[in-house]
Amino acid sequence: METKNLKDWKNELNICIRCAYCFEGCPVFKITDWETDSARAKIILAYGMLIGDIEPSQYIADKMFQCTYCRDCSERCSANVPVVDVLAAARADLVEAGFASETHKGMVKNVKETGNIFGDKEIKAPVQQGEIPVYIGCQYLARPNQTKMYLKILEKLGVKPLVKDEICCGYPLYALGFRKEFAEHKKKFLEIFPEKEIVALCPTCAAYIHEEYGKDVKHITQFILEHLPEKNLGLKATYHDPCDLSRVMNITEEPREILKKLGIELVEMPRNRKTSHCCGGGGGILMSDVNLSDDIAIVRIKQAIETGAPLLITPCPTCEQVLKKAAATVKEKGEGDITVKNLSDVVWKALRS
Amino acid sequence: MKIDLEKLKGIVGQDNIKNDIADLYVYGSDSSVHNALASVVVRPTTIEQVQEIMRYANAELIPVIARGSGSGMSGQAVPIDGGIVLDLKKMNRIIEIRPADMLCKVEAGLVDDDLNRALKPYGLFYPPLPASSRVATIGGEIANNASGIRSVKYGATRDSVLGMKVVLANGDLVNLGSNTRVEASGYQLDRLMVGSEGTLGIIVEATLLLKPIPKFRCIGRASFNKLEDAGEAISEIIASGASPSMLELMDNIAITAVNTTLKMGLPDVEAIVMFEADGKVKEAVDAEIKFMKEICEKHNGSDIETSYDLKERTKLFAGRKKLFAALSRYKEGLSCTSLADDMAVPYSKMAECAIKIHEIAKRNNVVMTAYGHCGSGCMHTKILMDPTKKEQWEGAKRAVEEVYEYVRSVGGTTSAEHGIGLSKAPAWKKEKADSLKILKAIKKALDPNNILNPHKMQDAPDDWVTATKLRYPVE
Repeated sequence: METKNLKDWKNELNICIRCAYCFEGCPVFKITDWETDSARAKIILAYGMLIGDIEPSQYIADKMFQCTYCRDCSERCSANVPVVDVLAAARADLVEAGFASETHKGMVKNVKETGNIFGDKEIKAPVQQGEIPVYIGCQYLARPNQTKMYLKILEKLGVKPLVKDEICCGYPLYALGFRKEFAEHKKKFLEIFPEKEIVALCPTCAAYIHEEYGKDVKHITQFILEHLPEKNLGLKATYHDPCDLSRVMNITEEPREILKKLGIELVEMPRNRKTSHCCGGGGGILMSDVNLSDDIAIVRIKQAIETGAPLLITPCPTCEQVLKKAAATVKEKGEGDITVKNLSDVVWKALRS
Repeated sequence: MKIDLEKLKGIVGQDNIKNDIADLYVYGSDSSVHNALASVVVRPTTIEQVQEIMRYANAELIPVIARGSGSGMSGQAVPIDGGIVLDLKKMNRIIEIRPADMLCKVEAGLVDDDLNRALKPYGLFYPPLPASSRVATIGGEIANNASGIRSVKYGATRDSVLGMKVVLANGDLVNLGSNTRVEASGYQLDRLMVGSEGTLGIIVEATLLLKPIPKFRCIGRASFNKLEDAGEAISEIIASGASPSMLELMDNIAITAVNTTLKMGLPDVEAIVMFEADGKVKEAVDAEIKFMKEICEKHNGSDIETSYDLKERTKLFAGRKKLFAALSRYKEGLSCTSLADDMAVPYSKMAECAIKIHEIAKRNNVVMTAYGHCGSGCMHTKILMDPTKKEQWEGAKRAVEEVYEYVRSVGGTTSAEHGIGLSKAPAWKKEKADSLKILKAIKKALDPNNILNPHKMQDAPDDWVTATKLRYPVE
């Protein structure tokens, strides 16, 4: 297999000392308990393919795609090995060698044909003129009520959002290894968003637009916090940090400040902020291995239930989706009860009153 | 080697076996420089399953390599002859915690930090605390006689193990040791198992001695412009009768690596000494800290900071905790290899040992650091080199030989806590030259068919560089 993408990471692969410290928080490894599913194994296999020790196979490809991209491994790595970047390169080489899954290929086709990951032509941004460019992202566009709520929140806070006929940010193409398709998509995205400053609703889109396009991205939570008046909702809740928001964007305090301003008593889970446990919804496994995603989400929702808070709040639509499903499963089994809400729900509740 | 997978599936179930080349490649590696392919990875969940696997392997003469998290640095868990890798991580139950007896019983696959989290509500802790405690399993720690920063006060794993259940090569299960702090009768077979690196039996359960969590803990950090001064301070602290719960050294290379990678802002000096005292009575801890601080000052230690505050303590110690991995970022193009990584020398030789390490590194065109739990006589180094260059390996090989020649010359020993495995075996065999026959006889008595982690320690190849394929592509 040609390893033209992995080659760029040879030095980083040599830097990894294989100490296994990344086992500690890896949500996938914690479910399966097989070392082959750990972050270290992904580095070992990537290195093995790069130096020609092992031939690529569908099995290896499956392992490489069995990751939520939560970056807990990099956070714990004392050598700062960018595991997810290495993994993305390995995925790209595997895709070019013909190991892409049909599900992922389908998603790429969807983006190409409809501009969104769902392949639904009916999913359209509520285009409107305004002052501040707001990027909504596929996941929120598929939830028009929530999108509307965020836009109303902005208007209520005195901001006129500029919403364009947007397309996917391109992160799924990049993360799933479709580099050629991403290069074409990137041009289109930049034509739509030439602006340097953007406000993004989805944490993953925010992180990616910031990292890949080098734009000054504000996540909606930062923006809301700047304009939000104090309220008193009198609720008790725990907060789930989306991985891209905490570990990539370093945004951990702003959402908490918002909750505080709304008069919500916050009860923290032991794993919070940069050590937050992944919800299980990232990296493409929601499409390729939904059972694994569900299992990871159940671990997280149980951590939330243990706080004793009746409510879990998160600003990420994917986290919200998988954690809601996990909460329903856990409730059905009689193992606890917690309500999952998007941050927009509580902010809007406070503002409309 | 023919392995009956159906037989193994019958023992542990289909879901607990892996034999794809990717699995074998991953399980053929650890944190050492070595790499070899296992034949199959098997994950037992009960003692009975381990016994059945051993009966089968013994009858068919198949090597069995016990594995915890594979975080060892000397190739202990690398399957040099192929065979069955026995992944014990699923056997991770805490069987019982007995505060009145100050002991607990656990399965071998339990992770050290998970045990300590469970002990905390009882006000107890399990003391060995290797730096890898977040992933290291109790079984792996016992097999390597692991220790860590607190070994200066609480001893190594051997001092904290009261007994264990071991599955022998023929599948028999034996109970070794006792539930008591002392045991005077006969050969101490439980102690023999500690540090045997999976060559004498499969440790499946352990009885561990616990200690009360000290009410007060204070850490101090002193900077030294001369490495010799730091060494003399360490030597005097120990010789003076002080009772540190931690006494650590970091040289300038270690300091630079931590500052580069973790932006720690440690003082750019020749050496840093970290000292700690703990106890039930604050005045006693105060007195210990004051005493150690004065000794550091006497030996030109400066910028001395001390703190009882948990956040401050964590900050003061953070650089040391993450040092191993951070060394990989010392300089562009150099990788951190676990070679000559571990040794012990008499206290009075700590500074000389560090200086020797630097001299040897320079002579052999590699970079070596010096750091460690000097309070227990333990010195660590790593060889930082370009692992793709043949001449760097030649230099590394010479450096390893020279380091251990020096260690032996001052009455030191090849491994303080990281074990022997493959990469330290040649030096260890020289150190134990007059007892090799006894060691081999013990191995033969307990494992007549040589199936338990074969060709390690006293039976390992004489050249560690060619013992297995190196995990790096050497030009």
